[in-house]
Amino acid sequence: MEKELSSKESLALITEMISQAKKEAAGDGSFHLLLWGWVIAVCDLGHYGLAKAGFDAPYLVWLLVIPATLISVYFSRKFARQARVKSHLDSVLGELWLVIYLVIITLVVFMSVLDFNHNPVILLVSAIGVFITGSLIKAKALKLGAGMLAAGALVGFMLPVDEQYLVSGIAMILGYLVPGYYLKKSYRDQF
Amino acid sequence: MISFKPLDPLLHSQLRLAVMSLLIGLEEAEFTFLKEKTESTAGNLSVQLDKLEKAGYIKIEKSFRDKRPLTTCSITPAGVKAFESYVENLKNYIS
Repeated sequence: MEKELSSKESLALITEMISQAKKEAAGDGSFHLLLWGWVIAVCDLGHYGLAKAGFDAPYLVWLLVIPATLISVYFSRKFARQARVKSHLDSVLGELWLVIYLVIITLVVFMSVLDFNHNPVILLVSAIGVFITGSLIKAKALKLGAGMLAAGALVGFMLPVDEQYLVSGIAMILGYLVPGYYLKKSYRDQF
Repeated sequence: MISFKPLDPLLHSQLRLAVMSLLIGLEEAEFTFLKEKTESTAGNLSVQLDKLEKAGYIKIEKSFRDKRPLTTCSITPAGVKAFESYVENLKNYIS
């Protein structure tokens, strides 16, 4: 591959290689959005449906979060081990979502202090995470998803606690699942 | 008036420039990734990586993953500086 380069060839090579590295570093990025989008949407809508059906303990559906956490940790480690490159962006995104996860857990632990109006607050915190992720990986779909989550939070604050689960479930579909599938598709289309 | 500085001969080579361009935006990259993206042979790539390492432009680490040898490369601050001046000089040549 050794040959004399012209200035234009050098510049073209630099641009091409930087773009290749970016693609590899960004990866698919949709796995966690889809996992948590599905889990939380099922929990929210399940809680809402079970409560409406008169089930005594609709909150039991939230036990799904435990295996989802284990799956999320397992696959995060697997992806990190399999990755052929490591970028600063990966580390920043990992730390951002770890902090958001811890904030959400704190909100859930102290939900009684919030008179159980924790769902809209969780949506707002998630909106921040999704928006910053969209900004870092330059994905407009994620920024729009963040807008949906924030809109869901605003609507949720104006509704009784039980109805907040329905709004939250819909917001998760629009804010996590729709952009998640869009990211997955656009990544596939690149190759 | 723009002064035309000579382009760093160590970077003004297709394979070494490709490696540095791949590493510039990453914390580290595996040998197999560099080999695939530069479409080079393992032997040639090793020789060029060695030259970049001797110049202090990259750091090469050898370890094991799943009992297999693993070589990872990362760009050093001196490498970043050299790459940036190379690009700056290149711009002067083009404009």
